[in-house]
Amino acid sequence: MFHWLEKHPFFFAVGVFVTIAFAGLVEILPNFAQASRPVIGTAPYSTLELAGRHVYIKNSCNACHSQLVRPFKSETDRYGHYSLSGEYAYDRPFLWGSKRTGPDLWRVGNYRTTDWHENHMKDPASVVPGSIMPAYKWMFTNKADIETAFAEQLTVAQYFSVTYNEPVPMKDGSSIIVKMGGSVAEAKAIALEEAKLIAADMRDQDVKDAVARGEIPEIVALIAYMNSLK
Amino acid sequence: MNKLYLGGIIFTALMLVLTYLSVGGSKGGLNDDIVNMLAIAGAVALVIITVFVVIKYVRQMQVDSASGELVDESWEGIGEYKNELPTGWAVMFLLLMVWGMWYFTMGYPLNAYSQIGEYNEDVAVHNAKFETKYKDITGDKLVEMGESVYLAECKVCHGLSADGIEGKAANLNHRLDAVAIKHAIANGANNFKTDFAGGMPPMMLSDPAQIDAVTDYIMSGFVDGHKGAEAFAMGGCTGCHGEKGEGMPFVGPKLDCFDTATVVTVLKDGKKGAIGTMPKFDRLNDKQKEAVGAYITSLSK
Repeated sequence: MFHWLEKHPFFFAVGVFVTIAFAGLVEILPNFAQASRPVIGTAPYSTLELAGRHVYIKNSCNACHSQLVRPFKSETDRYGHYSLSGEYAYDRPFLWGSKRTGPDLWRVGNYRTTDWHENHMKDPASVVPGSIMPAYKWMFTNKADIETAFAEQLTVAQYFSVTYNEPVPMKDGSSIIVKMGGSVAEAKAIALEEAKLIAADMRDQDVKDAVARGEIPEIVALIAYMNSLK
Repeated sequence: MNKLYLGGIIFTALMLVLTYLSVGGSKGGLNDDIVNMLAIAGAVALVIITVFVVIKYVRQMQVDSASGELVDESWEGIGEYKNELPTGWAVMFLLLMVWGMWYFTMGYPLNAYSQIGEYNEDVAVHNAKFETKYKDITGDKLVEMGESVYLAECKVCHGLSADGIEGKAANLNHRLDAVAIKHAIANGANNFKTDFAGGMPPMMLSDPAQIDAVTDYIMSGFVDGHKGAEAFAMGGCTGCHGEKGEGMPFVGPKLDCFDTATVVTVLKDGKKGAIGTMPKFDRLNDKQKEAVGAYITSLSK
């Protein structure tokens, strides 16, 4: 057989390819399948959080902020536990970033609060003296795009089997259910409920009024997203 | 003698002379240095070996003729000898297979490098060092440690001199301010779930005059004979916070000044107060929390 292969270079090449590809499958696939599953405690993004994620992407926050804590003591002291690949199971796309002009944000929900974010986005230097981050004042007036967030939810639920409206296990043994609306109107109602909780902790009267009117400013969605990063 | 060998010897001699000249001509020469000696010995050996190995193969090309048994295949007229398996190679191959089995079953699984493993080792070493170094730390040393932790973790909001940011982060140079006291009376306080599980109900006092009096009394540092003392007792504050705001373990925190227990409680549970929400600081270990407590206590004294 080997003499036959030596005389037929095409089939020899095919044989080499099959051998190496098989080794690749055996080495890579099991680990990949294991590591890309959501870890316990990772829940899908809610409608409002997803809208906030879109705001984050739209304003290129990932150009200056990474979302990946590396396994070094200096990093885990500052940001918390190092990132696990399964924690990105619901990130499409992930926003690891390649550069830290500002700090990493992957676990910012653990150590910053709604009112801190509000002050910070309005005037970063007021809470972080010497900060070079610009203010993002328009987020307080622009309205979050709930329709697109809902469209993304529908898509990932249908094509990637993301578990909306089903129990998701948490670290303490309990489980939570992340709701997804059945229609645009329902999705907006769900997002508004979340927004009210955020707005209750905020100070800006215009934002509070907007939420009371049933509108959702971008800042509310962004803070919901920031708080979900844990 | 073969012309080839003659040429080789002349070439070798020439190379050695050139080496001698270039080394001898450079500043200091060999300089009686053992490393220089070794280097020159290596150079001489290289020249000689290279020349004679080259000569051997050139000779072989000149005089050798093909011999041996050919294999059956012929690739477009080009044949191949049946070569015996070299013993050295075969031994190496078998040894490599043994090593491979060891590596697959023992070597890789048990001794492989892992970044997470290195991280875990780093952290374990650091924590052990921290434990032994700071086990019995007290007094000024503890305050110093607290200051360094404060500068790394708390300074961002509460500022270098701990005077906070107006309306955004509390001033830590004194225990409470009027806004915080009035907010707690009006809304209750239920922040410290770990150490004060009972919480404080809202509206223990509702008369604005009494609230002002109590606020004044607390702000005054619980001076004797203050007009707010009566309202403080009447509103039920003394039941949990003590006659002079000295606090009670597991019931009510101390009000007259910071103490380590109060600060540690805030770090454990976070705090939602008049000016916003402070996150909890799980990432600090117990000793660090205690140190921050000692530092903040030292500020308000």
